[in-house]
Amino acid sequence: MHRGAFTPGRAFVYAVVCLIAAAYLLPFAVVALNSLRTAEEIAQTSMIGWPQSWAFGNYAIAWDKFCVAQTCSGIQPYMANSALVTIPATIISTLLGAVAGYAVSLWRFPGDRWIYGIITIGIFLPQQMRLLPWTIVLRETALTNTLTGLVLIHTIQGLSFTTLFCRNYYVAIPQELMRAARIDGAGFFRIFWRIVLPLSPPILIVTVIWQFTHIWNEFLYGVTFTTGQQQPVTAALISLTAAVADVPQHGVQSAAVMIAALPTLLVYLFGGRYFVRGLTAGAVK
Amino acid sequence: MKTITRRGALAGAAGLAAATSPGFSRAQAVKPRLTVISQWSAGSDGAAITALGKKFEEKGGVWQHSPVPGFTTEMMNKLRAQIMAGDPPACSQLKGPEIAAWSKIAPVATLDELVAAAGYEKVVAPDLAKLHKPGGKWIALPLQIYSTNMLFLSKRAMDKAKADKVPVTWADFNALAEQMKAAGVTHPIANGGTRPDDGQKFEAAIAGISPTVYRAAFMNLDAKALKAPEVKAAFAQVRKIADWMDPNTAAQHYSTNLKRFVAGEMGMMIQGGWAQGVLLNSGFKLEDFIIAPGPSDNGKPVFLLNADAFIFWQRKEADLQAGQKLMAQLVMDPAIQTMYSQITGSIPVRTDVDLSGAGWSDGQRRTAAALKDAVASNQAVLSLAHNMAQENGMTAAIIDVLTEYVKNKSITPDQAVARLTDAVEGAR
Amino acid sequence: MSTRPATLDTMRRLPEYLVIWVPLLLAAGHLISFALWTIWVSFTPSTLVPVTGWVGLRNYNAVLATRNWNIAFDNLLLFGTAFVLLSLLMGLGLAILLDQRIRGENVLRSIFLYPLALSFVVTGTAWSWLLNPGIGIQKLVNNLGWTSFRFDWLIDRDMAIWTIVIAAVWQSSGFAMALFLAGLRSVDADLVKAAQIDGAGPLRIYRRVILPVLWPITVTVVVIQLQFAITTFDLVRALTGGGPGIATQLPALVVYDFMFQRGLLGRGAAAAVLMLLTLLAVLLPYWAWRYVQHRRASRA
Repeated sequence: MHRGAFTPGRAFVYAVVCLIAAAYLLPFAVVALNSLRTAEEIAQTSMIGWPQSWAFGNYAIAWDKFCVAQTCSGIQPYMANSALVTIPATIISTLLGAVAGYAVSLWRFPGDRWIYGIITIGIFLPQQMRLLPWTIVLRETALTNTLTGLVLIHTIQGLSFTTLFCRNYYVAIPQELMRAARIDGAGFFRIFWRIVLPLSPPILIVTVIWQFTHIWNEFLYGVTFTTGQQQPVTAALISLTAAVADVPQHGVQSAAVMIAALPTLLVYLFGGRYFVRGLTAGAVK
Repeated sequence: MKTITRRGALAGAAGLAAATSPGFSRAQAVKPRLTVISQWSAGSDGAAITALGKKFEEKGGVWQHSPVPGFTTEMMNKLRAQIMAGDPPACSQLKGPEIAAWSKIAPVATLDELVAAAGYEKVVAPDLAKLHKPGGKWIALPLQIYSTNMLFLSKRAMDKAKADKVPVTWADFNALAEQMKAAGVTHPIANGGTRPDDGQKFEAAIAGISPTVYRAAFMNLDAKALKAPEVKAAFAQVRKIADWMDPNTAAQHYSTNLKRFVAGEMGMMIQGGWAQGVLLNSGFKLEDFIIAPGPSDNGKPVFLLNADAFIFWQRKEADLQAGQKLMAQLVMDPAIQTMYSQITGSIPVRTDVDLSGAGWSDGQRRTAAALKDAVASNQAVLSLAHNMAQENGMTAAIIDVLTEYVKNKSITPDQAVARLTDAVEGAR
Repeated sequence: MSTRPATLDTMRRLPEYLVIWVPLLLAAGHLISFALWTIWVSFTPSTLVPVTGWVGLRNYNAVLATRNWNIAFDNLLLFGTAFVLLSLLMGLGLAILLDQRIRGENVLRSIFLYPLALSFVVTGTAWSWLLNPGIGIQKLVNNLGWTSFRFDWLIDRDMAIWTIVIAAVWQSSGFAMALFLAGLRSVDADLVKAAQIDGAGPLRIYRRVILPVLWPITVTVVVIQLQFAITTFDLVRALTGGGPGIATQLPALVVYDFMFQRGLLGRGAAAAVLMLLTLLAVLLPYWAWRYVQHRRASRA
């Protein structure tokens, strides 16, 4: 197990890893290649293939030209909408989840196990099932067709995961540390601020990555609870893919998919290292 | 627009003149505004509704269209959310029996006076008109029509098979398919494998075998008709069609086959008129294919009606009411229907529009002629596969059976008939 | 001041209570109320919108008599088991491979993790191209000369569910890998050294030192992947649309289909409640296991 020592065994390990990596990259490669092919080329040859002429124009069309009905502004404004929902919802749900996780894990109070159990069930509820209840909640709060409404939904639904992640992480904080702090007269907030939060970056990165990707990629609520120009990017993408009575614009569609996937891909690319590190630091216990 | 008849133009003008109807009179002074929900966001559908919006704006209106991209279900989710929030759109896309179903959950606007003023009822196929006036009052307006059982023939496949006659009956159709297969057309049928596509194959079969049985079984859900020998024969015909298809099509959209269809590797396709636009937009030529009415055993064309429509929801705001009025007039206007159909490849709802002009294709002319003939011989029926014959719950239950039958060759026509009756009973 | 000290204390700690209880009540409260609401709807004759009324078990009977539901339920058992096991194995395998201190670990880890970042639009469409025998992998291999090669699970109604397993494992095994890798990294290096000095082989070390560390992680992975399996919806919709025929229906799809596509809210709600009950049947043993573990830990 020493780095650099080249043995047949290690060659085998490298071969296996590279083979699997290639298989993992394949679906992405297909989309990436199609994003550089024209719709005609794809229609007249095959869905999978090397671009005959590099259609970089697909990206220009995808970015600010293609039309969703009367609005021909490409994917660009929808990217902004998605950001306006995803960023606040990610931050708020992560912070609230951190406090809730801290409360459940380090401050015993009556009913804490029950609450924790119910929240765990929350991650199993398919979101299709929650669509109508949310419709009613948004009606009662007068937030139908606002981005604020979407932020609210994603924040509350996200609490299940963020609380779960943070709770599992904070459980590993030694009780002696807590006891010592309490003897010093530190209260709930002081301990959170002085002891828990400084220990938190690894797990907060995990929850941020998780929340960001899930909210960014969400479609059902995005399309139901917004209107016209406020729609998230997933809705704009679907308008390119689901035109049943029309020629599939695979080239532009793939380019738009690439652009729309960029933020989450970057988050994983740069956050991936911290993701594993954050999990290593205790979330898995 | 030169392509419109004089009578049509007069009717349209009459509609515009009917500005004094009492229900809408308050709306006189304000700037008309219209909130619209539809799923038409891209391609020719998106282009057509955008053009309609432009016309609305030209008449001084404010056009507020919220396209809900995706599938019809998502569009209905959006509509449901708006209705539950007490804020329905002034106008939204809805079709078939769903118009009646949805009109029960929220108040709708009544369009009777506008329809009467435009003389619209006279120029709409009666079965179609009925769908848009549940309870006797017009609450929705059809916009464009497709037939779901048009027969597309590949010119090259026809040449390969040395065939020059367009099949009229299912026997002709089967003979041509065999002839093509013998001539080296590996897959004589170029249909896709999605749910509506499987539904289309079946409805084309049963309506072509007997429009009377189709009407009784699938429009009226008559229990006896559902078990009729014609239904079994239709299942047997669908099995033939399925066997002539490329098995790889599975859940694929038919458009993936277009290249092979035009090249003559595939021969025929039972599709809606919309496939014409798709073919042309894919860079293929009108000379590459022939469009004809789908097979009909009695020789007279059978027309499986699929019509898109707008329902008008009740709104108290004066500007929205004015907008609804303007929209209704536009939708009924022959010039607008001409513009719309020429973009999407459909045919106008109005039977009095002249399709001889340059903006129309032979396929569209043939479709319109087929509709006229079918209405005359009472063979214009409502499409099941495209949610015109039954409410969505029933349609989906029936299509479950059809799609399973198409994909599972071990199901016999007899078993399929039994499953069909079970499914209909279960969904009633 | 006439207030008693206890009240004063409560007043002073009010912000604390607020901060603890508001998020917890939001998180738990919305779940409870949504679940109760769904249960209520499942007993009503609701169609397009929720309405009041009572139809007893009619919706449940209707759902249980539907072929879709039965197929979906069988599929969930098969898909859930296969997917959880395979992604567990895949994740563990990848983690062990990556833990061999190989070069380019960062790049490789990103490659295994990136599918998590992608939405169903990419996942479903890309896989539906690859798995389609007429245009995808099969055609590619056939064109390369191996003409008898067949990979047509997508159109085979017995095998189609496995295409969903493949795509789902591809999408989420990275997460299992990350968790396992984290576990492997947190193994006490001294313990491994001690075992090596004792002359234990690598297999023995894995079994005796490393697996005990990985065991709790495995439980976490199973729970999270199970969650993924039960809520799988978009992937199937984009990849097979529930087909061929209705061969790849899953409960989440049936719920959505009944509720919104067919406009039968009551039946959809009944299907959702049946799903919830199934879920509890899986979760209760897990909780019991945790409870026992907790008792054992506090006794030790």
